Amino acid sequence: MTKVILNKNKVLKNEYFFVDNLTNLTKSNSENLIVTLSQWLDNKNTLSKKKNIGIKLNSDESLSLIKEEISFFKIIQFNFLTFKDGRPFSEAKKLRVELQYTGEVRASGYILPDQYIFLLRCGFNSVEIESEKKKFWLECLKMDTGLYYQP
Amino acid sequence: MAKKLKGDSFFLSANDLKTGSVVYYNGDDWSEKVDKAKKINRSEIEEYENIAKKFEDECIIISPLFVELNDDGTIKKLRDIIRKNGTTF
Amino acid sequence: MYQYSDKDKQIVKNRTREFLSQVKRRIDGNLTEEEFKPLRLMNGLYLQLHAYMLRVAIPYGELSHIQLNKLAEISEKYDKGYGHFTTRQNIQFNWPKLEDVPKILNELADVEMHAIQTSGNCIRNISCDHLAGINNEEVEDPRPWCEIIRKWSTFHPEFSYLPRKFKIAVIASEKDRAAMKVHDIGLKLIKKRNETGFEVYVGGGQGRSPFIAKKINNFVKKRDLLNYLEAILSIYNEMGRRDNIYKARIKILINELGEEKLKSLIESKFKKFADKNLLLEEDEIKKIKNYFKLPINNPIKSSIPVKKNKEYNIWLNQNVIKHKLAGYSIIMVSLKHYNQPPGDATAEQMKKLSIIAKQYSHGEIRVTHEQNLVLPHIKNSDLFSVWNKLSALKLATPNIGLITDTICCPGMDYCALATARSIPISQKISQHFKDQSIQDKIGNIKIKISGCINACGHHHVGNIGILGLDRNGEESYQISLGGSADEKTSIGKIVGPSFSEKELIKAIQTIIETFEKNKKNNEDFLSVFNRVGIDPFKKDLYDKSNP
Ligand code: SF4
Repeated sequence: MTKVILNKNKVLKNEYFFVDNLTNLTKSNSENLIVTLSQWLDNKNTLSKKKNIGIKLNSDESLSLIKEEISFFKIIQFNFLTFKDGRPFSEAKKLRVELQYTGEVRASGYILPDQYIFLLRCGFNSVEIESEKKKFWLECLKMDTGLYYQP
Repeated sequence: MAKKLKGDSFFLSANDLKTGSVVYYNGDDWSEKVDKAKKINRSEIEEYENIAKKFEDECIIISPLFVELNDDGTIKKLRDIIRKNGTTF
Repeated sequence: MYQYSDKDKQIVKNRTREFLSQVKRRIDGNLTEEEFKPLRLMNGLYLQLHAYMLRVAIPYGELSHIQLNKLAEISEKYDKGYGHFTTRQNIQFNWPKLEDVPKILNELADVEMHAIQTSGNCIRNISCDHLAGINNEEVEDPRPWCEIIRKWSTFHPEFSYLPRKFKIAVIASEKDRAAMKVHDIGLKLIKKRNETGFEVYVGGGQGRSPFIAKKINNFVKKRDLLNYLEAILSIYNEMGRRDNIYKARIKILINELGEEKLKSLIESKFKKFADKNLLLEEDEIKKIKNYFKLPINNPIKSSIPVKKNKEYNIWLNQNVIKHKLAGYSIIMVSLKHYNQPPGDATAEQMKKLSIIAKQYSHGEIRVTHEQNLVLPHIKNSDLFSVWNKLSALKLATPNIGLITDTICCPGMDYCALATARSIPISQKISQHFKDQSIQDKIGNIKIKISGCINACGHHHVGNIGILGLDRNGEESYQISLGGSADEKTSIGKIVGPSFSEKELIKAIQTIIETFEKNKKNNEDFLSVFNRVGIDPFKKDLYDKSNP
């Protein structure tokens, strides 16, 4: 299924790669890399020298493991194992408020369009979704009135 | 949905997606009429599980379940009897 | 009473539109049931045994006569002509169609009501003392605080997918009429050196493993309340267990982590990261408080009509309490008529009660967590007229606080999770102890009945708690004794092996006899239990050598 990256109502070009195995890195995909938590923890030294590096955390992996290192990352991606797992909402907020992170925060995995506004409000700025679901995401975005009870 | 089932014969039941009403499978369709419900043998469970799944996917029913029957064809469990007859007070 | 601002109105209207779109996507197959379920639950819509069930929020249990009338209309138009008031001061309709729910929500929005967050793993309706603002004991009226918390918790972007549901209660005096200590967070308004603030209790709850909340802060300033709540919820969202639904409430977190550890995490988050935009400024608080000014201001001279009518006098004695303003009374409207499922009200009862409230109680009605209603501001001189009207509606059963005033969940007659029925049990108890002189002799006692371990019927905190179980396909009832949900909250102790449906009433009769045998002077059931302990009850129930 093809995926698209949405930022509010705009489709972004995906500039990042994943590789299952870091030894498979070639020249063309060695920059703009998003690594998993374990890839990062095992290869911190080499990876931290790369220019555009991102990290992908599953929703059951705690941000606190990389708290001291977030400045290395251009992008932090929270991958929802299920949309019912609300931890990344708090993690994103923590990134923005407590850790003053200004890079991109992306949501991916099993997420619902009905969560779009909440994601944006918690500090996410992009979502990776199935392209055929895009219209529902835009619909939900349109329903936002901007009227909230929280700051 | 067939987990922990005892007994030898069953009805296939569910709730209608749009109305929520209790419905029974009668062989090709779902209806509120329990007397039209199709009796299913233990050996056919898997087949009817798939049928239920199909109707779930088509957004006709939700929450399918097998209703256990006594040897005389009456419904066995209190919960299923309440589903059929309504409240008891 | 609170009244919606334009913003409130728009938010609720918008939610209705959003739900309509979700229903449409579900019916068209663009949302699976697995995806739709949490979304519909967050809007109070369950699938029960026979049908869908819609739970409508009654914020902190307060209703206007217009709202009550609308609930009656909805029950007639879209349901079977009745509704069920719950232990969380909400109302449930048992038979709506999925397709009708968006229409119901629209009608509710017209009278400033909704079903937002009445279920699901989010912050639920805030519970409150049903005598808030009209009793003499409180530090200040807790309702404005409920409203402030209601707003903050509604569509909270960070706390809508919590590990599990989250319940908050606010009280404002030593007396606890809201079961505050069995909530995830209990807040108690207190005064310290002329400043009002909150004692904060965390980790209470019922269900499979009942816990009494622990005090984690002796004084949170008013202005800091929302920041403090954010700190608690944020820690809970991050650390609460998600691997086991029975271990997901904050009560488990506080027990696994330890009180001190959780407290220090909360405190450090609160101290370091409080959001200044969440600070509550005096003028803001005042603005909310203004909505809750009582419709009556001054004591008046008005006396209670003296009549020879015996029933009226029994009712006055049992169901009427003093208002904080002289000349007024508070009427407890019993929804425990002997033939009615506890907490149920018919459309006719709701409609006529709405008219009574308009005429005699400044249009206000409240819902108690014990599943009764309240007419909060009745002029003393009107009491006889109101009694007559309530009597005609079967809403004047003089049993408030007595043995037939049972709390009872819907049980297997409606609920998809139930292991046994509860309504018929409550009706049998009512029938058995119906005689007024017997009820009076037994005195204050709380029987609470749940149809499964989820404990919606609060059985853990019943003086006599009854839990319906399934033993090899037979209904079976476990009894616990000595529970209490008031300021001396305690969890009941299981008395022994459970009873069949047939044996149950006899067992309760035995328990009452043991109580009466041991009773000194005017002691109530709980005092006797606390003095003599569980053994005499056990002995009388199970010791077969006992004649
Ligand atoms: S206690 Fe159990 S049976 Fe009763 S309403 Fe709650 S979930 Fe249903």
